Amino acid sequence: MRLHAALGSTSLFVASCLAIFADDAGHIDYHYALVGLPKQDATLFQQPFAGSKASLIYTLSDKLVIGAVNPKDGELVWRQPLSSSTNTTEGYLRAGEDQDTVISAAGDQVAAWSSSDGRYVWGSKFPGSTVKDLEILELPDSKADRDVKDAIVLLSGGVQGVKRLDGKTGIVRWTYEDASGDVPFQVSSSAISIYYISLHSTLLGGIKIKVTSLDTLSGQKLEQYTLSSESDVSSHESILFAGANSASPLLAWTDKAKKTVKINILGTKSTTTIAVPTKGTDDVVKITLHAPHRINSLSHFLIQYDTATSHAAEVYHVDAQKNTIIKAYSLPELPGKGAFTTSTSDANVLFTRITPEETIVVSSASHAVLGRWPTKKATFTDDAYPVQGVSEVAFRSGSAQAVRSAVLFSNGQWTLVRNGVLIWARPELLANAITAVWADLPEEEALAHELAIEGHQNVVAAYIHRITRHIRDLTHLPAYIRSIPAQVVANFAGKSANPTPREVQQDAFGFHKLVIVATDKGRLVALDAGSAGRIVWSVDLAAAATLQDPVLRAAHGLIEVNAKGLETPIFVNSTTGALISSEAARAIQDPTLVADELISYDVVNGELKGYLGDVKAVDPIWGFAPSKGERIIGYTARPVVDPVASIGKVLGDRSVLYKYLNPNLVLVTTVIDSTRTASVYLLDSASGNVLHAVSHPNIDTSRAIPSAISEHWFSYSLTLDASTDDTCRGYQLIVAELYESALANDRGPLGAASNSSSFQPSSASGDAAKPYVISQTYQIPEEISLMTATQTRQGITSRELLITLPESNSIVGIPRYIIDPRRPIGRDPTPLEASEGITKYNPALQFDPKWYLNHNMEIIGVKDVITSAALVESTSLVFSYGLDIFGTRVAPSFAFDMLGKGFNKIQMLATVLALGVGVVFVAPLVRRKQINALWQIT
Amino acid sequence: MRLQLPLPLLAALTALTTFTHAARLTLTIAPNALLSSASVLPPSTHATLQSSGPPLRALLTKTNTFVFDNVTAGSYLGVIHCRDIAFEALRIDVSSGEGLQKVEAWQTFWGNEWENKGEKRGEGSGGVVVEVRPVGVKEFYQSRGGFDPLSFLKSPMILMALFSMVIIFGMPYLMENMDAETKAEFEEMRGKGVLSGGPTPASQIQNFDLASWMAGKTDSGPPPAAAIEPAQGKGKKRG
Repeated sequence: MRLHAALGSTSLFVASCLAIFADDAGHIDYHYALVGLPKQDATLFQQPFAGSKASLIYTLSDKLVIGAVNPKDGELVWRQPLSSSTNTTEGYLRAGEDQDTVISAAGDQVAAWSSSDGRYVWGSKFPGSTVKDLEILELPDSKADRDVKDAIVLLSGGVQGVKRLDGKTGIVRWTYEDASGDVPFQVSSSAISIYYISLHSTLLGGIKIKVTSLDTLSGQKLEQYTLSSESDVSSHESILFAGANSASPLLAWTDKAKKTVKINILGTKSTTTIAVPTKGTDDVVKITLHAPHRINSLSHFLIQYDTATSHAAEVYHVDAQKNTIIKAYSLPELPGKGAFTTSTSDANVLFTRITPEETIVVSSASHAVLGRWPTKKATFTDDAYPVQGVSEVAFRSGSAQAVRSAVLFSNGQWTLVRNGVLIWARPELLANAITAVWADLPEEEALAHELAIEGHQNVVAAYIHRITRHIRDLTHLPAYIRSIPAQVVANFAGKSANPTPREVQQDAFGFHKLVIVATDKGRLVALDAGSAGRIVWSVDLAAAATLQDPVLRAAHGLIEVNAKGLETPIFVNSTTGALISSEAARAIQDPTLVADELISYDVVNGELKGYLGDVKAVDPIWGFAPSKGERIIGYTARPVVDPVASIGKVLGDRSVLYKYLNPNLVLVTTVIDSTRTASVYLLDSASGNVLHAVSHPNIDTSRAIPSAISEHWFSYSLTLDASTDDTCRGYQLIVAELYESALANDRGPLGAASNSSSFQPSSASGDAAKPYVISQTYQIPEEISLMTATQTRQGITSRELLITLPESNSIVGIPRYIIDPRRPIGRDPTPLEASEGITKYNPALQFDPKWYLNHNMEIIGVKDVITSAALVESTSLVFSYGLDIFGTRVAPSFAFDMLGKGFNKIQMLATVLALGVGVVFVAPLVRRKQINALWQIT
Repeated sequence: MRLQLPLPLLAALTALTTFTHAARLTLTIAPNALLSSASVLPPSTHATLQSSGPPLRALLTKTNTFVFDNVTAGSYLGVIHCRDIAFEALRIDVSSGEGLQKVEAWQTFWGNEWENKGEKRGEGSGGVVVEVRPVGVKEFYQSRGGFDPLSFLKSPMILMALFSMVIIFGMPYLMENMDAETKAEFEEMRGKGVLSGGPTPASQIQNFDLASWMAGKTDSGPPPAAAIEPAQGKGKKRG
């Protein structure tokens, strides 16, 4: 019997830590490791080191993240976000031929990265300056026979000019300073010299282009000439192209009406004028010049003309001896949009034309088509067209054997198209997510709606309603019965039946929820959280309106998009993404059923104001003004939907501490910079009363103070300032719990009153019923940028505090019992406390790697983490967005209401069968024994 | 530097020191049993020096070092952030003095007072190289208790069941295969009640006559049934 007891007690402690099972990783969670939309001139195919067979695609995105992507499967090999002290989106990425580094420049920093693994090699900082251009000096240096190629950097602001950086160490080898005050534009190099192009503004508003040639070895000015472009060029956007690092670099610009293109071969003073072909009535809206970047390739180039409905191109040759530009041939005009890419094979220049219909490769020498691959139609969905790309052409014996192109499509998908077949697609549009919201599936919402109707009717009507609903539901029965065998088979195979695209299947656990993400490019994307974050639909709202600070709201199968520039909200169907007129939306939306925030908040002139409802126009019902010198840095309100299962906390001796459960709680964090103090105020958002206030000295007020509030507890994190020599250093996590009274089995001043008012909480004394607050502080090893709590359906499951660690690119879920403020200090817990699961307080809280929701993945640039309840009580869905998209589900009290992968169904069946067989064999034995016992006399 | 300076003055001081001699700090990873080579670490591995305001950051270079240029005077908390390996934290003091700055590095402990320094990890002026040590490999996953036939057999419940199975099925077989002499002896023993004849403790407890025990009856051997029983029975009837 003692054995039994021992067995029972061990089973209690088996699963005492929460972690992801290795075989669940990648199944319950999904992660899009994104880089952002690639920049056209900073995307290239390149071998990671000289002599490497395979090449990688390197890119610098609009988010200034360098990414190396494997062209075979689209997997990210490495990435590095560029940290820039200045607020810039301009960035450059170049790679020299046969080099093992790629060199990036953004803001005031130039850095070299190992091409194969993304390690930092060297970095140079130019404080006060901004890098305007970066080129690799491809020429072999006569001074030293090294195989490392140097970089040329153009700087503006601070010390303006051109610098040559050593390719191995990043040390400046020479500087050419430009004190003329012209706007630096670009640098380019040819076989002879470096060209520095600057823009000189004339008095009349036009811009003259000034070209200065510099000596590659010393940086001395060799020659300078000015092109009289002031009649055409008024801003740098009119300059189409400069440089190309080829044997004869070019400078091309166009006039405002886009009627002519003027081209100067750098190093010569003459310009060639090319008339833009006018076919049909459409005006050319965009002119792009494509030229090879390799120094030993032919000096041929292509000019692409885009109209609103079609695109065409012309190929030109540069005669280096005569310094003239001759038109070679033109490519036919095709309807729709297309992209051209340039690639080289030895000296040959190949142009690849990618349209939604086909991929064509032509040589720059003649107009003969070297290869043509029609696009497999299914690959490009929703009439997206190619915007830009880079190509790699396998060119042998005069024809293109194969072509692969990394193409950015207009819908934000970065894809690889090989011979017209889509190999992979990276949803880089999601890298620009600015806000996201959970949306329930419509079936689920419809049921909730029906139940709500039944709840509001009288008994008879409700009963009739329910019967009719059940009869209606019977129509789904045959389909359900038909689906059973497939489900059973899939269950035993350990796989779930694949839903067809564009259809989200409801599941019994409620994991299939939609996450609607709004991007800064004006797109709305719906992801299915239940099937690894699959994109269900994606709509472009940019055509309808520009979205500035959009606010999303989901209810009744509709997504309501509110933004600053919008007069009326936009409504989108949550399952299809179709736009719905606001009249139709109002008809669907039942105003009585809209659950919404009662109080909304706004910080006006350093004062937090509470408004009744969503209307900011009305007068605030209360205002919270901090003391002089104190500024509000943030506020967090208790979530509107925050179910609590138990109103008290049962202690070890069976007495109860009653939780202070106020739905109108808002936590305000403020700082005083002069005294390095941070304060936290807990307000009642209905009355504006301060319920609790605490301040912390010696806080680094320049760092973020994230906070979270849920149920009857709140938490926040602080960074300690360096000046505190005698105390500890680092970061703190403070957790506080609110109770109605300090005493167990006591309900405080409110007593058992069923109604209470936030304005006059206690009629007896007229004093605000303030909660009894207990808090504890933990020393944590890392800074926290965001905090939130998990949500479950009924609130029975204990909560987990989700914190985002920006330094280790992680999201960590701390179980609540770890940060229980009732942990005894300086003594071991009594047996009663131990029975509650409380352990002795330890000031240092180390994040157990098992708490990391992202395990070995790195989530960069988390902007927010949102949680939602699943249908099963045990589980909360987590979704984070920012640069990366990451989603998972957590079970803070373990998945007690569902079978995990650890439950082996085959083994269970085998056991049942074995027992059955055993019974068949044992039964005759037992029967014989029973009979013998009756008849035999011993 | 134990002077409590007001913040603007401190900022001015740090700004001033940048123009004098700022220290260059290099952290190197000391390989040990946990990490044989730092070359396997992900490219996002970086070190931070935190004192006031945004921390200084340095990425892990190709040569497996973290290089901080221009570290101004102050007392810094040095932390290595790595996906795979946990490193010990460092306290790095850069003191402003004449000429080159003096740099000292110690081990530090979470949740301890800042003055509570550990072992010294490096010291010098100007360019200093400090060693950081890996303290643990991050284990993210929980292992699932899979089905293991051996552990299944080791379980006491199964052992007990197997033992009773052996008794149930093995005993009759043993009995049958006994030679006649032993069998007879065994039967005799059974008859005497050594093995099964006498009342077992369990049946004794079940058949325990509480009333008679309360009445003070001593259970000393089989009572002379014929003498006492009828007399008692009569007495009962009479009462």
